[in-house]
This record gives sequence, structure tokens and C-alpha cells, in this order.
Amino acid sequence: MALIEAVLLSGVISGAIYALLALGFTLIYGVSGLVNMAHGSFFMIGPYAFFVLDSLFFSLFPSLGLSLSSLWITIFALVVAAIVTGIVGSVTYRLTMHYVIGDDVAILVVTVALAIIFQQLVLMGFGPSNFPIPTFLRESTIILGVTLTQSRILAFVVSLVLFLSLWLFISRSKTGRAMRALSQDREAAMLMGINTGRLYMLTIAISAAFAAVAGIFIAASSTGVANPFMWLEPLALSFAIVILGGLGSIKGTLIGGFIIGYAGSTVEILLPQGGTIITAVPFVIMVVILFLRPKGLFGKRIEMEE
Amino acid sequence: MHVLDIPPRLLAFLLLLLFLELPLMGLDIYTLGIFVTANVFAIFAVSWDLLVGRTGLISLGHALFFGVGAYASALLFKYFSLPLWFTIPMALLAGFSVALLVGFPCLKVKGPYLALVTMAFPIILSAVIYYFAPVTGGEQGVINLPTFFPFPNYYLRKLAEYYFTLILLAASSMVVYKIANSKTGIVFVSILDNELASKASGINVTKYKLLAFAISGLFGSLAGAVYAHLLTIANPPTLLLTISFLPVILTILGGLGTIYGPIVGAYIYYILNSYVFKNVIRIPPLWQIHIVTSFLPEINSPIYTDYLMLLVFTAVVVLLAIKWPRGTARLVVDKLKDLEEAREIEKRARKRRLNIRRSVDKLQAVFKGSKKKPEPAPKG
Repeated sequence: MALIEAVLLSGVISGAIYALLALGFTLIYGVSGLVNMAHGSFFMIGPYAFFVLDSLFFSLFPSLGLSLSSLWITIFALVVAAIVTGIVGSVTYRLTMHYVIGDDVAILVVTVALAIIFQQLVLMGFGPSNFPIPTFLRESTIILGVTLTQSRILAFVVSLVLFLSLWLFISRSKTGRAMRALSQDREAAMLMGINTGRLYMLTIAISAAFAAVAGIFIAASSTGVANPFMWLEPLALSFAIVILGGLGSIKGTLIGGFIIGYAGSTVEILLPQGGTIITAVPFVIMVVILFLRPKGLFGKRIEMEE
Repeated sequence: MHVLDIPPRLLAFLLLLLFLELPLMGLDIYTLGIFVTANVFAIFAVSWDLLVGRTGLISLGHALFFGVGAYASALLFKYFSLPLWFTIPMALLAGFSVALLVGFPCLKVKGPYLALVTMAFPIILSAVIYYFAPVTGGEQGVINLPTFFPFPNYYLRKLAEYYFTLILLAASSMVVYKIANSKTGIVFVSILDNELASKASGINVTKYKLLAFAISGLFGSLAGAVYAHLLTIANPPTLLLTISFLPVILTILGGLGTIYGPIVGAYIYYILNSYVFKNVIRIPPLWQIHIVTSFLPEINSPIYTDYLMLLVFTAVVVLLAIKWPRGTARLVVDKLKDLEEAREIEKRARKRRLNIRRSVDKLQAVFKGSKKKPEPAPKG
């Protein structure tokens, strides 16, 4: 019986993290129509940035006279890493994708090329093998009869908080309203005086930051390693989730994330040697959905129906 | 269109002759090897371009065919001990069928969705290969495949492979050229241009899309099978995303939507790669250059030049995709075309001025002859 609870709780946490990842993807698509194949790259860069900043702060802060507990330093590093990745995303967008926004083929080529470029850069900087990422909060607590590490719980909480904050931001703030406007009708939004370029940069910064957070949590709390090639899987996951939930719909992304999260953990636990084909699962789901119901479960543009 | 007034088919023939002559000018075994690789991947890129540049079906999973070709031939050899000249046509058949199979789900989707679906297939196949590792050889793949020319002399072997792949490339591009210039080819272009209009004109778009997939898959798996036998190994890296993206790089370097584009791109890529980059001095890991790095552990990352090469080429592709989506060879061709048009216009203008001159003279002669008051030359 503990097995079922383990699957349930594990799936919920994975689902939340995946949903966070996919949220970034659907956000940038909803607002700008940009299918960002380099989204997985931000997921990959997050852990590496986290490692660099973590090591940096650990050696820097004591010499600056700041004595913080290692946990707070790590959390600070996490936050900064996410922000840095967001900035990287923004700058990358401005230098490349900005120029090819209307053209579907060019966008795909450019973003896949960027993904490969990021892969090569990290490869050159950190090597091709699995790179250890500092873990935190390794003690476990028991919830509902299942042992969970505290970092996983933190991941879940943070994901939900970020989801909520984004929702509030989009529905309440002025910039959020601008983003919604852009997702509905780009030209009308421009006529209203909304600066599309800047908004796209902000959107992709948020998107990349979320992806980085997801990446850091998965690398630091589940696997403990990162490698330059780990951008393909999150990309596939994001796609599968977003297509399942419907491109551009936040609600759909959330639900899709949990479904895929559960599908993944079910396959891994139930199928013999499920670990080998687990990478293909999101792809299979994606193909099936595209075949049967290309629109996904919910709509097309960022909808804030409540 | 004539480049420097030479008909394109003659030009292609001359180039072929040049390449046939090339080894006789004394190429070493290393250079021959570069050409062999370039030829194989040129076939691969041509097959990709037929699908994407000519029919508009964006495929980011072309490695599927490469892997299918490699594994089909390899597994047939491993389990049935069939000879080369039988397994390779079988591999072609496999590629053809897989392409048809894979084409079905791709019919309903467009644009980014299509790119994703195509990306999914090699990954799914890769997972299947790993899952059935005892049958397919798993991580290691199928080894000890027979090679085409088992000569004891390595130079002769490379030479034979050079000619073999060159002939294959020439034959494949001829076939694709014929297809492109046939009614089928025109339908492909019409699908690229406006699918809805094609459908409205009564064209069976489904049939032609599947046909495009099938032909593309056929030649793609040819490249894969030949590559496997050249290397005597068929393994999972044949299905990597980097292999899928390679024809994109090659075609964009050379020119999207043409026959020569991917071929030119392949040559540029492999020749530049081998000569320019192998001579670049080893670059230390990026982080070592950074100041605040005393705390980072030692990392040994040996193959910088290879990583850097892919990086640079991909960056170039990004630049090209932004500025000149039609590729460099196309840029050259387009410029030549513009030059030619300018010349044509000049010629016609000169002729017109001459005609005007003649009519003016004739009229003047008429009027002068009748001894009337000389009319001023009519404007014109």
C-alpha cells in the first residue's frame, strides 16, 4: 500500500515541477507565438549556474564577513541562478529570435540551433559527463506514510508559489494585462501602445527563470547531476504537457503537467526496466495526442477564465 | 537559369568529371576520407531538402531514416547473414516503408507541431533499441559489419569508397533532380507554396505528402546504410538529434530548396571542419579563463576542437537563418541571376534605342525626300 502513496506523492511533486517548466514554455508561446526549442536549454543552464554561484558565494561570503548558514547561501544562489538564466534568455532572444518572429521555419531552425549552441558551450566549459550539483535539504520527513526529502517538499511548495505569483501577475498587474493583450491580438496590442519587443523579453526572462528553477530542483533534489545533453528531455516534456493541455492555456498546462508527471512515474515503477524507455514516454504521449486531438484539452490563447 | 551562360546540366556534368579526376591529382587518404563522409551526408542532406525545402514539411527527425537504414542493413546481416548487395536495397525498402508509416501522423499537423512529431520518432526508436538491447546490441550497436571494398591496401579501399560514394551521390541527386522537375516535383512545390490552394485545385495532397516522405526516407536510409557499412558499425548515435540537425546545417549553408544546395553545404562543412578546425590550437576550458575560478575543481575536457566546430557552424546557421534564409549558395546564385537580369535589360534597352533610331531615320528620309518643310524629329 505504501507503493501507491509513494507513486501518488511522487507524481504530485514531479507534476508540479514539470508544470512549472511547461508553464514557461506555454507563456512564451501564448504571448509571442514563439515555439522555443531552446527552452530545455534554460532548464539545463539553471543547475550549472547554480553550481557556479553556489561555489562562488561559499567562498565569497565568509571573506566579506557575512556568516550565513549554508542553507541560506544555497537558496540565495538558487534565486540568483534563476535570475541570471532569465537574463540569458532575454538577451538571447533579443540577439536572435527577435529578428525571425514571423517566420515559422526560421524560428524552429534558430531555436534548435541555439539549443545546440548552449549544449556545446556547456560541453566546452564543464565536460560531457554527469556533473555533480550541490544538493540541499537532504533530510527526509514522513508525510502520509511516505518518506520524502525536504528538498522535494520545498520544490513542490516553490512551484506552487511561483505558479500562483505568475497567475496573480498576469491577471492583476498592468504588465500582465499587456501580456494577455499580446496573446490575444498582437497588432491591436501594438496599436494600444504596447511595446512588443520589451514585453517579449520580459516574457522569455520569466520563462527561462522558471525553467531554470525546475532544472535546479530536479538536478539538486532528484538526480544530483547535470549534463550538457539534458535539455532534450525537458523540451519533450514541456511539449507533451503543453500539447496535452493546449498551447497557450495556463490551466491546461497545470493539469497536463500533473498527468504527464503521473504517467512518467507510473511507467517507471510499474513496467519492468521502465527506466530505459521513460525518456520516450512523453514523446509517445505527444504523438498520440497530436494524432487524436491536436488542440489538446483546453484552448489556444492564454485564458484567464476562473 | 544559366550560370555564366553554361547550362546547369552541363555544369553539373563538368563538376562530376572534375571530382572523378580529383584523386588522380594525388589526394592523401585523409582527404579522401573527408570526401567520402561529405558524399554520404550530402545524400542525406539532399533527401532532407526534398522534404523540407521543396515540399515544406519541416522535419527535425531525419535521423530516424539514417538509423533505420543503418540498423536494417546491420540486423539483416547479423541474423540472416545476407550479403551487402542484398541488405542495402532491403534497408532502402525499410526506409521507404518507415517513412510511409511515419508520414501518417505527420499529415495532420503543421509547422512547429510537425517539427516536434518528427523529432519524436528517432527518440522513440532509440528507446525501443535500448529496450530490446539483447536483439539490437543496445549501447554498443551491431559491430563487425562487412565493408564494401575489403582490400588489404587501405589507400585503394578509401579510393574505391570515394568513387563509390561519389557515384551514389551523383545517381541520387540525378534521381531527385528528375523527380523535382517532373509533375510530382511541381506538385511538391505547390504544396510548399500554398497547401490549401493545391487541395482546392484537386491535387491529392495526402498522396503527394506521403510520396515526399517516402522518397526522402528512401534516400535518407541509403545514406544511413552506406555509412554503417563504411564504419562497420550501426549504433544508437545514428539516431541522435545532432544527426537530425546536420542536414539542416548543411542545407542552410548551401541553399534551401535546391538540389545543389545541400551538396555544396556538405562539402563546405566537412572541408572547413577538417582543415580549418583541426589546426586550431587547443582552447582551454572556458572556466579557466575566468578570474574567479580558484574554487572550481579540475575538469579534463579533451575534445575542444570538435565541440567548437559544431558550435561555430551552428552559430553560422543562426546568422544565416536570420539574414539569408535561402542559404549561401543560393545567395551566390541569386546575385548571378540579378547580374544576368541586369545584362538582359541592358541588351533590350540597347535594342530599343536602336529601333527608335531606325524609325526616326526612316521618317526623316520620307519627309526630306518630298522636299517638304523638314519636320522636327518625332519624339519617341
